[in-house]
Amino acid sequence: MRDKVLFFVGAIAFALLLRDILVIAGLPEERNQGIIFKIIFFHVPMAITALTCALVAFGASVAFLVTKNFKADALAVSVTETGLAFLAGNLITGSIWGRVAWGIWWTWDARLTSALVCWLLYAGYLMLRRAIEEPTQRATFAAVFSIFAFIDVPIVIFSIKWWRTQHPQPVFWGGGSFPADWYPTFGLSMLSMMLLGAVLTAVRLRQEEFQREIDGLRRMAHAL
Amino acid sequence: MYALLLQTADDVAREIARLQHGYEFLSYGLIVAWLILVGYVLIMVARERKLKREIASLKAMLEPPGATSASRQSPAR
Repeated sequence: MRDKVLFFVGAIAFALLLRDILVIAGLPEERNQGIIFKIIFFHVPMAITALTCALVAFGASVAFLVTKNFKADALAVSVTETGLAFLAGNLITGSIWGRVAWGIWWTWDARLTSALVCWLLYAGYLMLRRAIEEPTQRATFAAVFSIFAFIDVPIVIFSIKWWRTQHPQPVFWGGGSFPADWYPTFGLSMLSMMLLGAVLTAVRLRQEEFQREIDGLRRMAHAL
Repeated sequence: MYALLLQTADDVAREIARLQHGYEFLSYGLIVAWLILVGYVLIMVARERKLKREIASLKAMLEPPGATSASRQSPAR
């Protein structure tokens, strides 16, 4: 039953994303940047989904340290991995956008660098988990590392406010102008990314349950 | 008049090139975004299959010798 629900919601999210492509193809060009501006419908929702995943991972890591409940640890790793995929998408689509808008693929400005550091930190989190065998020690170290990594998230968000960057001010809360009739499309894009993020996290969470079952069976096999 | 026509043709050609450039990069962006998401889903599917196989093999290993699936299903016959 759970499988079917996940598959159904995932299929809806993918269908919404497909619909997005058709809808954004029909939108008019942006006056200054032209057609490439439409990449915002993937770039920004991916960033928001990734940073939401980081927030959930932070909460789950704190919860693990307080309660020592391994379900919180499983949630932290699942949501971190999903967020990493979305952040990778955000960085690459941003680079492609930058190539057209600024004429360069990459620049070491505060927003881009902090986002890359964020990606590297969470990739490091996953590598750290692979390096530690003992489950309690692995979960504890990983939770502490995840809390430390989360410090970078507000830096990513506010870097464009705190420093002068090549990256523009946010379109939505920085005085930018986003056409009012594009909001429904953007909202739908945001919803589909969030939905997809939730489904991927749920699937990954179930895999963590399988892994725990495998660990239990292995312990049983060793005892025999 | 001829010069004006030539200039207009140049403008049109430049505009077409600009549009093509934008479309090209927009499609790269969308393809990459989709590839990442679909690739991640495929990784998840492959990992899930591997985990299920591992569970099945461990269960088979832990099963007492001579026990069959039929005897496990109806133990109190």
